Amino acid sequence: MDFLKDIFKDIIDKLNTALIVEGRWKMLLGGLGNTLVIAFFALIIGVILGIIVAVIKVAASMNKKSKILAVLDFLSNIYINLIRGTPVVVQLMIMYYVILVSTTNSVLVAIISFGLNSGAYVAEIMRAGIQAVDKGQTEAGRSLGLSSLVTMKEIVLPQAIKNILPALANEFITLLKETSIAGYVAISDLTKAGDRIRYSTYDPFTALLIVAGIYLVLVLGLARLFSMLERRLRRSENR
Amino acid sequence: MKTDNITNGEVLIKTIGLHKSFGSNHVLKGIDEEILKGEKVVIIGPSGSGKSTFLRSLNLLEEPSAGEIWFDGECITDRKCNVDRVRTKMGMVFQHFNLFPHLTIRRNITLAPVKLGLMDEEAANANADRLLIRVGLLEKAESYPGQLSGGQKQRIAIVRSLAMNPKVMLFDEPTSALDPEMVGEVLDVMKELANEGMTMVVVTHEMGFAREVGTRILFMDEGIILEQNTPKEFFANPRQKRTIEFLSKVL
Repeated sequence: MDFLKDIFKDIIDKLNTALIVEGRWKMLLGGLGNTLVIAFFALIIGVILGIIVAVIKVAASMNKKSKILAVLDFLSNIYINLIRGTPVVVQLMIMYYVILVSTTNSVLVAIISFGLNSGAYVAEIMRAGIQAVDKGQTEAGRSLGLSSLVTMKEIVLPQAIKNILPALANEFITLLKETSIAGYVAISDLTKAGDRIRYSTYDPFTALLIVAGIYLVLVLGLARLFSMLERRLRRSENR
Repeated sequence: MKTDNITNGEVLIKTIGLHKSFGSNHVLKGIDEEILKGEKVVIIGPSGSGKSTFLRSLNLLEEPSAGEIWFDGECITDRKCNVDRVRTKMGMVFQHFNLFPHLTIRRNITLAPVKLGLMDEEAANANADRLLIRVGLLEKAESYPGQLSGGQKQRIAIVRSLAMNPKVMLFDEPTSALDPEMVGEVLDVMKELANEGMTMVVVTHEMGFAREVGTRILFMDEGIILEQNTPKEFFANPRQKRTIEFLSKVL
């Protein structure tokens, strides 16, 4: 029994050192805040950008005569290839040290970087979703006199998003975890906060375990949110 | 251009030299046809004859490769013509219903009138109720398409088009995807519609319907209208060899 007691006391001690001493939990909390802010706003940018790019690409493939769409499609392809072809950490640093070097708000830089990055992946997921919706749906919408944009917004996209929800959940989970590289541009995110605790406590195990645990809880929560959303959207399929 | 007989209120749809190609596949090979107000034109013919393509050209779901289409005195193949506006006056019913699965039946019916600003939500709902009562499906108003049978779905699809107060209804093989016992309920709705004086263009394999409801039969083969006549004459005395061949197979 004493043996167990020792282990227990040891754990409490370590947690105390990592979290309570010198108010280290505040550092962690601040880091968590930054991580959440970056992930949340990047996600919004990613979704909006992704939908726009996907709609452009689908519209261009359906309407080969339009010159404007052809140009937009070309630009979309460059965007997707550049983003997918380079590591996100490099994109982040290019944004921080080159493109937005005049900005002092590094969290904003991270939001933009991760948003741009996510947008390329969301676009391809979204495109697959749009193309999987039966052509008859578009025809029915158009034959009722709805414009192609309204048909897309009211009829095609809702069905597409429902179908790609699992893939989108994956993308958002990836995005949330990818923000752990924000420390590269001097942002005190969750991972960086863990790092600083590690340096000052000389106990890497506890600090990293806490950080990993928090990420895990966040991801599980996100996954839960998505399965709830999925169930809600699937209501119309009840037979 | 002879436009005088388009504007005198009799001709509703007119096609002039209508051609359609998909790549090297020449599907419509010059169709000149007039459809008068109140007519029930039934288009029959072997598969691949271009009848669906012809029907889908009429509301420009297929863009003609050449030729003109006039609707209600307006050249709708003209570049300046607002296709969306024209389509609100042409109802279309599809073989596979194409109801919107993510929306309730009521929303399926009211979506277009409301989004296009033709009716406010309240008026559109009242109109939907009226139409649903007419086809005996009011109790399905809050259901989703996935909860309906094929026959019910197609009746809803017809109602959805009617909610726009169209001047013509186009039917693209409306009963071909239905279980046999559900064909009747859909044809009944179409017959009722015909009796009320709706102009109808129907692509179908239902010869009984063609004979009973049609005022004119068009027989299409290889991209042209090979033969046309009143149902009575058409079925009693087909003239072309291809027509006789076709009828001997389907009757």
